[in-house]
Amino acid sequence: MRLGNFLRKNALAVIALVLVIFPLTSPPDYQFYIVERSLQNAILAIGLVILLGYTGPLSLGHAGLLATGAYTYGILATKAHWPLWLAFLAAPVVAGVIGLALGFPSLRLKGPFLMVVTIAFGEIVRIVALNEEELTGGPYGLQGIPRLINNDLGVYYLMVAATMLVAIATLRLHRSRIGLALLSIKEDPLVTGVMGVDVSNYKVMAFVLSAALAGLSGAFFAMLTRYLNPDSFTILDSATYLLMVVLGGMDSVVGAILASGVVTALPEILRFMERARLLVYAIILLLVIWGPSTGVYKKLEDRFGRKSVVAPGVKLVDRG
Amino acid sequence: MQAELARVPEADVSLRMPEVGSKGEWAVGLAMLVQLSLNGLALGLLYALPAFGIALIYNATGLFNYSQGDLLTLGGYLMLTVFGVWHLPYPIAVLVVLGATLALGYAMGSIYFFPMLIQKFGPSVILIGTVALSVAIVNAVLLLWGPMAKSYENVFGNKAFQFGDMYIMPHVFWIFGIVAVLVILLQYLFTKTITGLAMRAVAQNYVAAQLMGIKVNQIIPLTIALSTVLAAISGILITPIQPLTPQLGGLLATKAFASVLIGGMGSMSGALVGGAIVGISETLIATLVTPTYKDVFTFLVVVSFLLFRPGGIFRRIEVEKV
Repeated sequence: MRLGNFLRKNALAVIALVLVIFPLTSPPDYQFYIVERSLQNAILAIGLVILLGYTGPLSLGHAGLLATGAYTYGILATKAHWPLWLAFLAAPVVAGVIGLALGFPSLRLKGPFLMVVTIAFGEIVRIVALNEEELTGGPYGLQGIPRLINNDLGVYYLMVAATMLVAIATLRLHRSRIGLALLSIKEDPLVTGVMGVDVSNYKVMAFVLSAALAGLSGAFFAMLTRYLNPDSFTILDSATYLLMVVLGGMDSVVGAILASGVVTALPEILRFMERARLLVYAIILLLVIWGPSTGVYKKLEDRFGRKSVVAPGVKLVDRG
Repeated sequence: MQAELARVPEADVSLRMPEVGSKGEWAVGLAMLVQLSLNGLALGLLYALPAFGIALIYNATGLFNYSQGDLLTLGGYLMLTVFGVWHLPYPIAVLVVLGATLALGYAMGSIYFFPMLIQKFGPSVILIGTVALSVAIVNAVLLLWGPMAKSYENVFGNKAFQFGDMYIMPHVFWIFGIVAVLVILLQYLFTKTITGLAMRAVAQNYVAAQLMGIKVNQIIPLTIALSTVLAAISGILITPIQPLTPQLGGLLATKAFASVLIGGMGSMSGALVGGAIVGISETLIATLVTPTYKDVFTFLVVVSFLLFRPGGIFRRIEVEKV
């Protein structure tokens, strides 16, 4: 029990410790790569926690933002020959600016309608990446992307540091005035506005933060794979990132990090199924989402269920 | 610039000679335009069917079903097996496919959508589920039918009708006719039958409908089954226009979403007009401007509709009460 409590309280520190020690056990390259990808996905998932978990809007276009970051880094590094650290910084900035543009529709649109805008955005990015061959290499991909630190461990530790920084910053954001405003917008934007909070401002801010983190994740993606192809940024990928957030418990940063590990590893574990791999993967995802209310689901349900503040009887009278 | 100027008088002269091939460019152009528009309209009506299905599900449950496009592909592939491989007579094959998709849709509704709705899962979770469902269908199709583009015999005939300079394939007219009949049938279903009335009641107010004794646990799956059947009809009719590929559904889903968002969620006419706009503009842009960016254009139109005229052309004005 006491161990459980300890783990729960210091989850982030424990994860950091495990991640720092992990390479010392000299794991096989493949496992190492999967952990690296999990970290890269975790950064994006944390960004989605800010958007979906704290503020509420649903985005199925984050693969497009990931692509924006990845291609920004890749193109600036290989074609424009920018200094690598500058290209690395440019990735989240460019994605953030696009997030700013993507934030404005969120002011007028709700739920599924906003989702269609984000799908459209993601698809547009993919189609442009597929067709602007001179810039992106089109279907042949963008090759030979250099790394910020030209050594596997260096990139790995940079990513651990970045993930931890992002996680801590997000947790602090959660407790700050901004975080409270975001949480309050999720509960009821109208009431929040009446309370004197600038709802539009905070909504757009959540989009920008989330997009910038997706861009950062994209820069790491480019460094990890060193090859970019539009096929890595489909709507399935966007849905997979959303799933990491949902599995992690919607508004939990630690949950998102752990869930991105699980969701990243799952298709690799299923690799032995060859052609049926993606089918089984999709069915598992579907079962996880739909599955009967086990403990995890109970928790999900509590979070998702419409919490009635007023007693049911009062509500009935109120509706008349 | 000079070449442009030189061509104009030439076109004027040739106008006086009505032989095929030497006609004025604008006359040929006009014929081409009409021909393209008619083809685009046929395609657009096929977008309109799943689009109406999306609107049906949205009105009943407040959800978007992302797998709508893949259910369309599935309908097409089932037809490929039943008609193209087993060689059942066409009408019987159609009935078999529609029966199968009706059952599938009902099962989907009563196993997935309804329980999730009742347990008050958030719409975002149910939506991600439909994306997973879409991926599952795509990969099941890949496993069962393989990755190659497939097609079967065009039952409507391969000989194009000629009207002056226009060549129009018979399936274009068949699609017009079949969709017209479907619209009449749906109109009958929704206005004259108890089931249709119950569906509309559930769409309007779920709780009130339940209190009036409507079996919501049957009507919601039935609505989803109906929209699946509509998608399957579209999948059956689309093969002469486009060969089937497992990935076709994703593209068609976005087109169907585009149609319903441009046209409006409220009615069948919204889906039809939206579908027609998407189909015609897409065909014209692909032929006259650029085929690479036709989808980008469609998306941009949808986004501007959402931003500047949310609710689409045939919008229902909804007042949000506080």
